[in-house]
Amino acid sequence: MRRAELKIEDCGRTESAVILAVAGELDMSTIDALAGRIGTELERPVQSLTIDLGDLAFMDSTGLRLLIELNDRALREGWRLALVTPRHEAASRVLTITGAEAALPFQSENGR
Amino acid sequence: MSANLTELILDRAHSAVISMDETGLVTYWNPSAETIFGIARDDAIGRTVADLIVPERFRHGHLDGLRRFLATGEGSVLDQRLEVAGLRADGTEFPTEMTISAFQDAGRWTFHAFIHDISERKESERDHRRLLEQLQRALHNSERRFDAIVGSLTDAVTIRDRNHRFLYANAAALAHLGFATWDELQATAPAEIMADYVVWNEDGNEVTMDDIPSVRILRGESADPLLIRTIHRPTGEQHWNLLKAAPLLDETGEVEATIMIIEDVTEQKQAERQNAFLAQAGAVLASSLDYEQTLRNVAELAVPDIADWCAVDLVDEDGDRRRVVVAHQDPDMLKRAEQLREYEPERLDPGRGVGRVLNTGEPLLYPEITDPMLVDAAVDDRHLELLRAVGMRSVAIVPMRAGSRSLGALTLVNAESGRVLDRFDVGLAQQVAARAAVAIENARLYSERALIAHTLQQSLLPAELPQLPGYELASVYIPASQSTEVGGDFYDIWRVPEGWMIIIGDVTGKGVQAAALTSLVRHTMRTASEFEASPARLLARVDRTLHEQPNKSVCTALCLRLETDRATIAAGGHPLPVALTAQGASELGEHGPLLGGFPNATWEDRIVNVLPDTAIVMYTDGVTDAINADGIRYGTQRLHDMLNLCGGRSAAHVIDSLTANLEAFQTGRHADDTAALVVRRLPVASVAMRAHDDRIAARVAHGGRQ
Repeated sequence: MRRAELKIEDCGRTESAVILAVAGELDMSTIDALAGRIGTELERPVQSLTIDLGDLAFMDSTGLRLLIELNDRALREGWRLALVTPRHEAASRVLTITGAEAALPFQSENGR
Repeated sequence: MSANLTELILDRAHSAVISMDETGLVTYWNPSAETIFGIARDDAIGRTVADLIVPERFRHGHLDGLRRFLATGEGSVLDQRLEVAGLRADGTEFPTEMTISAFQDAGRWTFHAFIHDISERKESERDHRRLLEQLQRALHNSERRFDAIVGSLTDAVTIRDRNHRFLYANAAALAHLGFATWDELQATAPAEIMADYVVWNEDGNEVTMDDIPSVRILRGESADPLLIRTIHRPTGEQHWNLLKAAPLLDETGEVEATIMIIEDVTEQKQAERQNAFLAQAGAVLASSLDYEQTLRNVAELAVPDIADWCAVDLVDEDGDRRRVVVAHQDPDMLKRAEQLREYEPERLDPGRGVGRVLNTGEPLLYPEITDPMLVDAAVDDRHLELLRAVGMRSVAIVPMRAGSRSLGALTLVNAESGRVLDRFDVGLAQQVAARAAVAIENARLYSERALIAHTLQQSLLPAELPQLPGYELASVYIPASQSTEVGGDFYDIWRVPEGWMIIIGDVTGKGVQAAALTSLVRHTMRTASEFEASPARLLARVDRTLHEQPNKSVCTALCLRLETDRATIAAGGHPLPVALTAQGASELGEHGPLLGGFPNATWEDRIVNVLPDTAIVMYTDGVTDAINADGIRYGTQRLHDMLNLCGGRSAAHVIDSLTANLEAFQTGRHADDTAALVVRRLPVASVAMRAHDDRIAARVAHGGRQ
């Protein structure tokens, strides 16, 4: 059993907006890294958080759960969450199976 | 003994043996006599002993002595070791050691002489005396400072001649060798001194006289310093010594004597070994969370570095002995230990041994175990016999405590090594015991948790799969490796009016919350199925229940209602089932949203026909998300490829193949828990057979509830 790797990249920020790009694999072994980073970003008030999952190679139900909780929090706290759909099937599969692609604020990469 | 046999033996003796009659004539002459005196047997027999081997100046005395003995029966030289000069055939003399015995047979005397050539020994004694005198003169006259300097060194310094006899030893050397005075040392043979010690090198191999640097120098070899560990047999004391040697050459450049410096490095060595040992102990103890393995690791750690034996006693809350592990290098000795343990009561005596250590919390050291102590401890004769056979010399017992909890005790025993355990060993054992206690407690808690998790997990799965007419069922649940938590995967199958309801699902999360959620989902489903036949509407009901939970609770589930020849399927964020026929594998149904995840979600039923010999494979994402050592996921493609090989095979075969394939892929380690369930409609022929069997079974089990 090998530990998966996850890369989180800062893709630009303003006073009130943060864009993170996530590459690699998002599963139970890497979820804490992303949850921790997002937690840190949300310590200051933001108006929008964009998470680009375009280069994500794999995501499992743990990753999906994080996105659902994040979406709930955005609705509750009144800021905007935007997600970019993963290009890799192994990452988008869990979104397709669970109906998350339709239910969560996904947008195509160039339709920002 | 017959004369012939006697001669046969004497002919092979290392000693020269010569027999002589009353008249002084040689009657027997063995081969060694031929060698020593240079006279052949045939030339000797019949001639007088006096002429052959007695130097001329002693001949008179020899003949006088013989006459006196024959007249009076008094023989001052008989039956004792004599040092006398012998005469060789070539006229040269040499020192001999001789014992003479006299026997009377049919009124006539026969004398037997046993003779050794001791010229070499004599020569070396002379050399030794000469060297000793020279050295003492040198020390006394020209180099007065030598003894003043060397004498006060704390390192032991000895000088020995070519035969290992001491020419000089400073005060430290005398003390080190256990002698009060120089004269006492001189009076003791070197081999005798060595015999008092058991000596090993650093690797634990026994060191012999030949390995000692000074002896190596005499053999003309290079003499690297040698680190040795010695145990003095009489006292059981252990020492680490570094031996360094250098040659003393005479005028011609020959090695005349050797100087050896014995440095006592016991303290450094013990500190070094202690650090190494504790580092190893830490690693070994941290290496396993398996309770049994940890216990064995603890016991084996101490053997043989600290002690010959090590036993770990664990006690329960009442102080009763619960478990004992013994380690020893020799399996035979282990067997003895097992036998000894039979004598130990489960209830420990708080006044002695392990019981006392647990009672007081203080370590106990018995440096010397005496026989009266064994007699006192023995329950019966067999017990005493066993205790004596083990040959305990020294025992130390230290408590193992984790926090305020007393776990048990660590017992160290030294027997065959003869080493006496001291305060240092007790200190080391206490440090090991402290680490061991933490490791054991962790392993215990871990296995307790794993047991609870396992039990809880079992309660979340059906105890056994029901019998479905016309179908066969098989399932597998593989918990995540090295997990003490309840996983989130579950499945269930129960009877409904239309046929059977099957559910497989996965609540995200682990542990008690996951278990509670699993339980909630299953019960909601079962209860709702009493008035709700549609899988889609059952999922909707679970979704509503999950939304009512105070914490975000999501779950994937696949619900399938199975009838005689068709199935109604609804999926809630769960991988779709795979239909498997002889033609291959294909997905059934349609994706629907996750349960409890999104507002206003809806689900739809899909009805599919289930033909004979069709298997429906349901699984959780633990299958497809499985990751191997190279970071590659198992994935749907691999699953379909694998299933394609199982078309037309039994449900059990499909499950077994899947399990084996996953095991091989992940090399036996599962990151996540995994569940799979296969329901297969039996081929027509088998159904007929099964119906027949069922009728027989029903008749046998008359009155059994359907």
